[in-house]
Amino acid sequence: MEAATDDAGSAVVNRILVVSATVATLTLLLSWQTDAQQRISSIPAGGTPLIADKDVNGPVPRLPDGHPDLSGPWLGGGSNADIEREGGLKAGELPLLPWAKELRDKRKEQDEPYVACLPMSVPRINPYPWKMVFSLTPKGVTEIYILHELGDAGAHRVVYMDGRKHPDDLLPSWYGHSIGRWEGDTLVIDTVGYNDKFWFDSRGTPHTEKLHTIERFSRPNFGTLINDFTIDDPGAYSKTVQLKFTARRVRQDVELMEDICTENNQAGIAGGYKLNSEQR
Amino acid sequence: MRTKLCVLAVGCGVVCLTTTALAHHGFDAEYDANKKLTLTGVVQKVEWQNPHMRVYVDVTDNGGKVTTWNLEMTSPNTVRRQGWGPKDLEAGEKVTFTTFAGKVVESRGSLVSIKKVSDGRELFTAGGPDASAPK
Repeated sequence: MEAATDDAGSAVVNRILVVSATVATLTLLLSWQTDAQQRISSIPAGGTPLIADKDVNGPVPRLPDGHPDLSGPWLGGGSNADIEREGGLKAGELPLLPWAKELRDKRKEQDEPYVACLPMSVPRINPYPWKMVFSLTPKGVTEIYILHELGDAGAHRVVYMDGRKHPDDLLPSWYGHSIGRWEGDTLVIDTVGYNDKFWFDSRGTPHTEKLHTIERFSRPNFGTLINDFTIDDPGAYSKTVQLKFTARRVRQDVELMEDICTENNQAGIAGGYKLNSEQR
Repeated sequence: MRTKLCVLAVGCGVVCLTTTALAHHGFDAEYDANKKLTLTGVVQKVEWQNPHMRVYVDVTDNGGKVTTWNLEMTSPNTVRRQGWGPKDLEAGEKVTFTTFAGKVVESRGSLVSIKKVSDGRELFTAGGPDASAPK
């Protein structure tokens, strides 16, 4: 009898918790919606169709060599507006050195190089689809190319899979030098040689040329790609940072489309400012 | 529980469909959220170009002065993926539109909605032309 009473009591408590959580979530969502509707009601940025929820837990397709096929296309899986929040940290947890925090705080969103059509670099992902392209040769997969529909300034990122090491005389560049390897079903990409020009997010989170990143990509099911991401940059961070991002699989019929950002970039004119003033 | 999940899913769906349309750059630095206007004019041209699609509309005021509004949208790729194409809006069409004005250059707006005066059909909405056809 006591057990039955306890069960009934806990059922009521559970119901109250569920309803409370639902109301709280909807309140949050609706307030967010109101803010968003205040701004725009036509098609949202990205607007890329994802696979149906019922297909997310489907089996992971495999490459001819047995490794999981991480091609995609995907949506998400990196930072965009705020790497700290989007990577799973609480506000203030990102261990920026004082000078780096000061720089982030004074940066203005419109000064991000990306707004002037320069590359997003790693791990920035905007709300447009992207994919990995596996270059299969008689020697196996020798390179992986990472392509974003928007954000690469017409360039591409290459990950060498042929066992080479990082050169010791790299010139700093937007995508650095990436070498990849498989650890079981996880693709591990190790990159050095970055320049310090790109931002991790539109908030302005900085890094230095000492940046070393490790991306660990895994695909637990058909519809999900996990990016366990390590920032190792003693120039801007007091310790190594571990973040986690999740991408969703884009619908099968969606292809990456041509997107030449400099074609007609009028950003800034309505607001009366020049693009990328920090770089000038 | 199933019903509650459905409610949450609907809530998420609505939010996902109404997030800000400008991804390549922010809204606040360029547009005035307190200056929302609804005007009628004639389409001068439609640019299906990156990084943002633009519609130019000539609006004539009571004194006969013509102002060309330059209305920014999301990327043309996004609009295409929702099923819209160049034949859905062409030069010469009379339209009514709602926009947030530019902070410094007022006639450079962030487009909220646009519809043809001829049939009241709203254009460039999520879901494509079929979803926005008059019922």
